[in-house]
Amino acid sequence: MSGRAIPLRCSRRRWALAPLLTAAGSIAVPIPAHALAPEPRVEADLEPEPEPEPEPEPKPPAGPSAAELQALQRRIDTLERQVEVLRESQAEVAQELGKAPPVIVQPSDEPVTAPSAPADVSYNRQPDYADGFHFGSYGRVVIGGDHRGRAAREGDIVAHGSRLDESTYAELELRREDYHEVTKSFTRVVATVAIAAPLFHQTGNFSTNMGVRNLYLEESGLGLKNLRVWAGSRMYRGDDIYLLNFWPLDNLNTVGGGAIYNFAEHTELRLHTGINQPQNPLFFQAVPRPLPYAQPGAAQVAVLDRQKVISSGRFSHIFWLGSSGAGIKPVVYGETHYANEGQREVEPRQFETLPREAGWVVGTQLGLFTGKRSSFLNLVFRAAGGLAAYGEFNAPTQLAPDRSSRGAREYLLAASGNYEVGPFGVQLGSYWRSFRNASPNLDYWDLTEGAVVVRPTVWLGEIAGVSLEGTYEAQRRGTLVPDQIGGQEPLFAQQGRVGLIPFITPAGRGNFTRPYITFTYLLTMRDAAARSLYPEHDVFGLRKVDHFIALGAEWWFGSTSYFRD
Amino acid sequence: MARTNATPKRLGLIAALLTGPLTAPVVGLASGCADFRALDEETDVQMSTHVDDWRDEVIYQILVDRFDNGDRGNDQGVDSGNLARYQGGDWQGIIDRMGYLQELGVTTLWISPVVRNVDTDANVDGYHGYWAQDFGDVNPHFGTLATLQELVREAHGRDMKVIIDIVTNHVGQAFYYDMNLNGVADINFQNNGGAMPVRHYTEYDPDFDPRGVQAFTSLGEAGPAPVIFQYDPATNHLPPQPALFEDPAVYNRKGRTFDFDDPDQLLHGDFPGGLKDLDTRRCDVKQEMVEIYAQWIEKTDADGYRIDTIKHVEYDFWRLFTQRLRQRLGEGGKRNFLMFGEVFDGRDDLLGSFTKHEILGDVDLVRLLGRAAGEGPTDAEQLADEQACSPEGEPLTGDQIDSVFYFSQHFQAVRDVFTSGQSTDRIQTLWENRVNTWGTEPNARGIGVSPADMPINFIDNHDVSRFLFNVRERPQDEQRALLHNVLLFVSAAQGVPCIYYGTEQDFAGGNDPANRERLWDTGFDTSGATFQWTKRVLALRAAYPALRRGGTRVIWSTAHTADESDAGIFAFERFGPDSGGSYVVMVFNTHQGHASTTNFDGESMKLSAPPGTVLVDALGDGATYVIADDGSLDITVEPMKAALLVPEGEYEAGL
Repeated sequence: MSGRAIPLRCSRRRWALAPLLTAAGSIAVPIPAHALAPEPRVEADLEPEPEPEPEPEPKPPAGPSAAELQALQRRIDTLERQVEVLRESQAEVAQELGKAPPVIVQPSDEPVTAPSAPADVSYNRQPDYADGFHFGSYGRVVIGGDHRGRAAREGDIVAHGSRLDESTYAELELRREDYHEVTKSFTRVVATVAIAAPLFHQTGNFSTNMGVRNLYLEESGLGLKNLRVWAGSRMYRGDDIYLLNFWPLDNLNTVGGGAIYNFAEHTELRLHTGINQPQNPLFFQAVPRPLPYAQPGAAQVAVLDRQKVISSGRFSHIFWLGSSGAGIKPVVYGETHYANEGQREVEPRQFETLPREAGWVVGTQLGLFTGKRSSFLNLVFRAAGGLAAYGEFNAPTQLAPDRSSRGAREYLLAASGNYEVGPFGVQLGSYWRSFRNASPNLDYWDLTEGAVVVRPTVWLGEIAGVSLEGTYEAQRRGTLVPDQIGGQEPLFAQQGRVGLIPFITPAGRGNFTRPYITFTYLLTMRDAAARSLYPEHDVFGLRKVDHFIALGAEWWFGSTSYFRD
Repeated sequence: MARTNATPKRLGLIAALLTGPLTAPVVGLASGCADFRALDEETDVQMSTHVDDWRDEVIYQILVDRFDNGDRGNDQGVDSGNLARYQGGDWQGIIDRMGYLQELGVTTLWISPVVRNVDTDANVDGYHGYWAQDFGDVNPHFGTLATLQELVREAHGRDMKVIIDIVTNHVGQAFYYDMNLNGVADINFQNNGGAMPVRHYTEYDPDFDPRGVQAFTSLGEAGPAPVIFQYDPATNHLPPQPALFEDPAVYNRKGRTFDFDDPDQLLHGDFPGGLKDLDTRRCDVKQEMVEIYAQWIEKTDADGYRIDTIKHVEYDFWRLFTQRLRQRLGEGGKRNFLMFGEVFDGRDDLLGSFTKHEILGDVDLVRLLGRAAGEGPTDAEQLADEQACSPEGEPLTGDQIDSVFYFSQHFQAVRDVFTSGQSTDRIQTLWENRVNTWGTEPNARGIGVSPADMPINFIDNHDVSRFLFNVRERPQDEQRALLHNVLLFVSAAQGVPCIYYGTEQDFAGGNDPANRERLWDTGFDTSGATFQWTKRVLALRAAYPALRRGGTRVIWSTAHTADESDAGIFAFERFGPDSGGSYVVMVFNTHQGHASTTNFDGESMKLSAPPGTVLVDALGDGATYVIADDGSLDITVEPMKAALLVPEGEYEAGL
């Protein structure tokens, strides 16, 4: 068993990993382009988010040498080819016998919680290999700045642009997993602490921006084998666009609970309800009040204290295309947002009523994957209205005349993909988004924007590579500016970015292979309208061209996000 | 049978053992074992009269925050040693020190305002109590209503009385004038000039404007400035209570008084420090004040009110307020209720204008302030108007306040004579005028004593520097001699002496807040010379009815202040029908350099007592003097000393 485990675990990094990515997309951390990014976001959402990636939790390092690893890799490649041959032959035999192609279950000695192509693996892991404590992490450290020595800073003009100049962020996840013999069920307690820039070594300050991104308990197989239920605080989301650090369809951060049921081995229904409370006067207001019984001093009294209740449902199914591991994965998704009416103080002891709020999201995703080398294409459509149009952690702004978010709309189209062949690979990320706030008239915060990022990569052997990334970002805002012919037109800002990223990759080739260490040069070119988005004396508003230079490191391993559950 | 019964008992015992620890706290609470409310429980108060004749009393002014800290539990916000902030004194501290006060000989405690104040404003606390925010609630820094009630009960139990300080003229720093219409309070801004002269303003306390505080923009004035009430519970800057005082219309809104001789400013300007002036001409304000202050007596059974800033409030207010209050309290069983107060002014006629029964109005005040005034309404018109505000009850008359602090004496006698050594004839003039300026008729339902017979005599108080501060350049023994002499003077002069706390401990603080020291820092030492002197003087006063209730006849005063034989002598007799035959002669030598005698240029002091009467100096080790056949008496008194002569038969040795 153990003799088989090592090559299989390693082989998944190369081929078992690929369909998982194609089925689910990769996960990256969205970071706002900058303060002008139009999509309403809250602080939590502004912070980088975890970087889940289908990477098995590694065993403690056994200490193989580089030569041993290379030998191992060659052996894996051989095994991979053998498996492919075996699979094809099995399919042929089955076809001859008039049977369906066999489903090959990949045994695993690591907890696997999502379909692991070419065949599904039940979420419920074997009870005897995950008990105990586990550690996982996503992290990136960015060391650099512009060519004049200014500190690193994101330069996107849209909500989701190139992530090459994103800031440092890391998650440290500790979890406990247990199998309960008496109920034949599994539990997982996940606690994830996230750390955002700046680091101590940047400032010398013993203060750290920290947040608890996960703190939940998930129960699996209790009563129903294919049912998982969870409760707690959880990053709850689907597939991302790695290049944009963006989850286009579903990305919720709530305190809540949910259930996930696998009807069949590749049909899944997820339901969730949670609450959160944006730190905004539209949801919370504490005012000073005298203490009772004429005691000196004051107490803070929450006169407005309403929460947002968010529910979501997600249904997905995988249609396998033959036995090669390729397939199509459609997803249907929806959310409801609700906040009860409230009242807030506008002047001491004078109140106004805030109406009940509601919102909705509908969306769909179509994923196509080859089952080989993480090649996939995901297409997403999402529409949101009312409270939901502003995002799950945000409070509505530019309200309707009745002080509600009624009338706010967001429409989104997005695409992401990856293709690798031989020493070459290319990644794609793009989106188009239209946002109209609840205020009936067009204003600065009404916008349409989009970005396209393409990153071709060539690997130099198994240890290094070079990526070239091109980005086009555009944004149109509901503000009129003079046009070329003496009239007026909506503000239309454009920006182009070109990045060169040589890297070394100790884990070998693959666009989603981590860890790696990068060197990044990023050239940014802004037109006049893009520069006008920045305040006076902001260097981004002064410079037509910017040069960003950075050294970076990125890793992910063993985190629950990786399990894609 | 026994076995049968034993089982339930045993079960019951087991059950009790098991449940006891769980239920004990609940049972204890229910049964009152843990009911600590009993320690601090408000009680229903039945008002009653505790005073026979206010002239027998000796008032002791207590700044509650500075007297003693009897309850550490209400020390919120205390900034120990910073006299501009709360120090921790409270009502419990007074209760705890009743013995000290009784030993001193004071009989009436005048305590700081009891109502809830603005806690802090401009880094100064409302420890003094004159920044009212809620007229219906107690100042939590001083204790609870129950403690206040206990204080009054404790005092009455010792045959002492309690007088509560009150304010009707203004509230605390309640609002600001939004002069530049920006919706926030600005403390140092200027206008734009142009049509207006460039000036700096603070919206909390802008200068008086007879039109009302005006707003302005860059283009000029913009009409009356909106009033915006502050709302900061942490400092208790809350809209004043009761609810009527949340209405901007009940305030005059004219800004800060800077000329106290301008009648409009005096009556309608904010008191310096941003204390917002109530429009006490309004009927609803008058009625509210009667209600507020009737309730405080009904809740505490206190015996009198010391009233703040009297001259800043119209005469018609005082007529209605005092008469309706006496009426209501009297119906509840509280008679002989004393109302006296502060007219911080040296003009004796102005002081007396608030006690005499003439129907005065605003035009009279204008005249008293030395300005030309037109004709006002007739007395009948004036009273009819006031009656319309309060039609129920007895017809309003000219009755006003029972007495006022004798500020004119404070300036002309305490300051000019006893401190500065000026001629004593000014005291005689002042005293003799009192019957004309203060009024000789007692108020109906009042204390039964005319204002002229009962001025409130004081050396100093919380608003002026202490006596010892003003003589701080003198040698130590001289300072004390001067203080002791003036202490005797205010105790022997006709009226009621009022001693500012700490005088007995030789406190010597300068102006506010230096004159508001913490008494507990002295350890309440009763062995000091001034404590013992005060105790002796008050004992003498208690012993000789003439010193309390007797009338006054000045028998020697002089214009001499140099080396003349009688320089500095001031002598007066106290006797009369109210003192039951008691007779006292007081002879003061206010000269600070030499002994003086009661004759000059062959003329001797003539007494009312029959010739041959033997008088004993109660302060002079029993030295005796005999009235000559011509009724004269020559007595020599050392500088800064006095003689207290009583008939031999009345003399009580050992005091």
